[in-house]
Amino acid sequence: MKDEGLVVREGNKGWQEGRAKNITFIVTKDCQLACKYCYLVGKNVQERMSWEIAKAAIDFVLNREDDPDFDYPSVIWDFIGGEPFLEIDLIEKICDYIKTELFSRNHRWFNSYRFSFSTNGINYDSEKVQRFIEKNKEHLSIGITIDGTQRKHDLNRVYKNSERGSYADVARNIPLWLEQFPGAGTKVTISSADIPYICESVLHLYKLGIRQVNINCVFEDVWSEDDDKLFEDQLILLADAIIDEDLYRGYSCSFFQEHLGHPMDCVYDNQNWCGAGKMLAVDAAGNFYPCTRFAQYSLRDKEAWIIGNIRDGIDKNKLRPFLTLDRCTQSTLECVNCEVAQGCAWCQGENFDAAKTHTVFERSTAICKMHKARVRANNYYWNKLYRKLEKS
Amino acid sequence: MLQYLSILLDDTSVAYCHADNPLTERYLIPLETLRKAILFGMKENLMIQYVYPDYELQEEYNALIESIDHVKIGRDVVVYNEVPKKITAENAVLRLSIADFIAKQYDIAVLLPQIARLNICLTDIETFKDEQIEEYQKALTTLNTVLLDQYKSGNRPQLSILTDRLQLKEMHNCGAGDTNIIVAPNGKFYLCPAFYYDEQTGINNRLNHHNPTSERSVGDLENGLQIPNPQLLKLDRAPLCRICDAYQCNRCIWLNQKLTWDINTPSHQQCVIAHLERNATRDLQRKLFDAGFAIENEIKEITYLDPFDVRKNIN
Repeated sequence: MKDEGLVVREGNKGWQEGRAKNITFIVTKDCQLACKYCYLVGKNVQERMSWEIAKAAIDFVLNREDDPDFDYPSVIWDFIGGEPFLEIDLIEKICDYIKTELFSRNHRWFNSYRFSFSTNGINYDSEKVQRFIEKNKEHLSIGITIDGTQRKHDLNRVYKNSERGSYADVARNIPLWLEQFPGAGTKVTISSADIPYICESVLHLYKLGIRQVNINCVFEDVWSEDDDKLFEDQLILLADAIIDEDLYRGYSCSFFQEHLGHPMDCVYDNQNWCGAGKMLAVDAAGNFYPCTRFAQYSLRDKEAWIIGNIRDGIDKNKLRPFLTLDRCTQSTLECVNCEVAQGCAWCQGENFDAAKTHTVFERSTAICKMHKARVRANNYYWNKLYRKLEKS
Repeated sequence: MLQYLSILLDDTSVAYCHADNPLTERYLIPLETLRKAILFGMKENLMIQYVYPDYELQEEYNALIESIDHVKIGRDVVVYNEVPKKITAENAVLRLSIADFIAKQYDIAVLLPQIARLNICLTDIETFKDEQIEEYQKALTTLNTVLLDQYKSGNRPQLSILTDRLQLKEMHNCGAGDTNIIVAPNGKFYLCPAFYYDEQTGINNRLNHHNPTSERSVGDLENGLQIPNPQLLKLDRAPLCRICDAYQCNRCIWLNQKLTWDINTPSHQQCVIAHLERNATRDLQRKLFDAGFAIENEIKEITYLDPFDVRKNIN
């Protein structure tokens, strides 16, 4: 919202939001870290993508110009892991090939593409990563995950095979990252254990110069009895700090959103939450998935939802459930009738993993009480902020 | 709401729908299990259908079977796995591959004047290719020609895939797990016989992840029905089907979970075949109208064969 020059900072929307096809390369299932809340239950060092698989996947995608499922004006080439920058040599080769092919094919995505990364930031300052950034900086989106204060970050984000926290190794790269990507935001994850550190962590990230904090609770069923009350208390503290210190002008926190916590209509407000099925993920074996959360390393209880592979193509029957998903069909009656439904998120992969049957049409409600707590704090935030802006 | 209980009297009981029965060793339902199944049907006010094997049962079974109103599939309803020369049963099922249906269209057409009702079951829908659309359309047209002549001469033979949609004003599908439930010889409930066959042949279970084995049952006679996610068997939880008007479609949930991995989502093949039949029924309806028959249930012209292709327009 705007009020006579007093601008409340809104979070950045994604590049070409809704207009870009997302292609995700799972370049490795390895990571230096073993974050305690990580949903990747099957990380390993073996499954690293080869150049042959990567090239075949790119060729497969670029050969689909006439396929309506690939009929987007832009493309986001997403690289994830594990930790994607562990495979920087491969990534550089992939990106070089994509650029060459887009040009030589005179493809509609030429000059309308992004390379996107979500990294733990540990080797961000390495020579190879920096060279890659310099070479591609006009087409890059890079998010470094830093979870807040050292005690919050190190509570969960620890090195594998040790309990050593990774905060120091990440924090040292934040200034360089912000210098190269001044508007970049970080992604903060909240699980049960780190609720007490939410307020201090968001404020800490602001002090580091990160103006956009994208923060969310994990979707898994991890919450203890009074977590919602603790969570609400933390958000109220954070709301007070943001408003009292005028931080709302230059910083954003995704927990507080103006349009949140209203009832929703099953006709006019019925879209699915995420783009699972519209995106395409490929792993080291050359298998395709509707999103990375349907690869085996992301699933606790279910078999991977493989929709095809680089050799045989995509079995479009396996995509039909995803492309016909809507909010109300997968929701419980309680969710459909919820008075504060707006903004209550879900992860299609977690829904599938937690479902009683093999379906993407059973919405997990583990996050329910946390969403309701968020809505109460959000209401407080906007009521307080409106009052302040009215007075000023 | 459940309306029908089908009791498989033997592992080799006749297959009467899409799925073939791969079980070849006889295993007769124990008498006590049969008694409990009948009792369940009576208590739940269900119409009982016995599914027969190809051998005669002992008298004690016959006595128990006759203790309640029922239909005998494999006896009253005769099941054919190839096109017979003649059909005398009032109600018959003809199970054929798509290729056989197309190849034998004239043999089937010859049967139409003899029948009261013939249900066609295509046994390999999953193999249907778009390249077969024209051939399937032609076969349906062949049958329509005979049906039209029959109507003109005062007969009204029912051929499921072409005449059901003339009357239907809403979805009338197989109803597995919703209106129908199966009891197998092991005393367990299944959504339909195909799930029992899959379990018995060890086909991997994608229906209920709490059982990483091939277990496919949804309860048993001792503990009652326990269908996980029963809402997903209802029409209103099937985004494509609830906006579709190919009302005669079987909406085979076994094929759904096999081909799309979600029980409420039909495959491209199932949608296309159902729409070819729907459109052929529309042709028949128009010809009947031209011949002077009154039309109360007009089937609209549509431009698609798979509702998935136009989902943005109809969602």
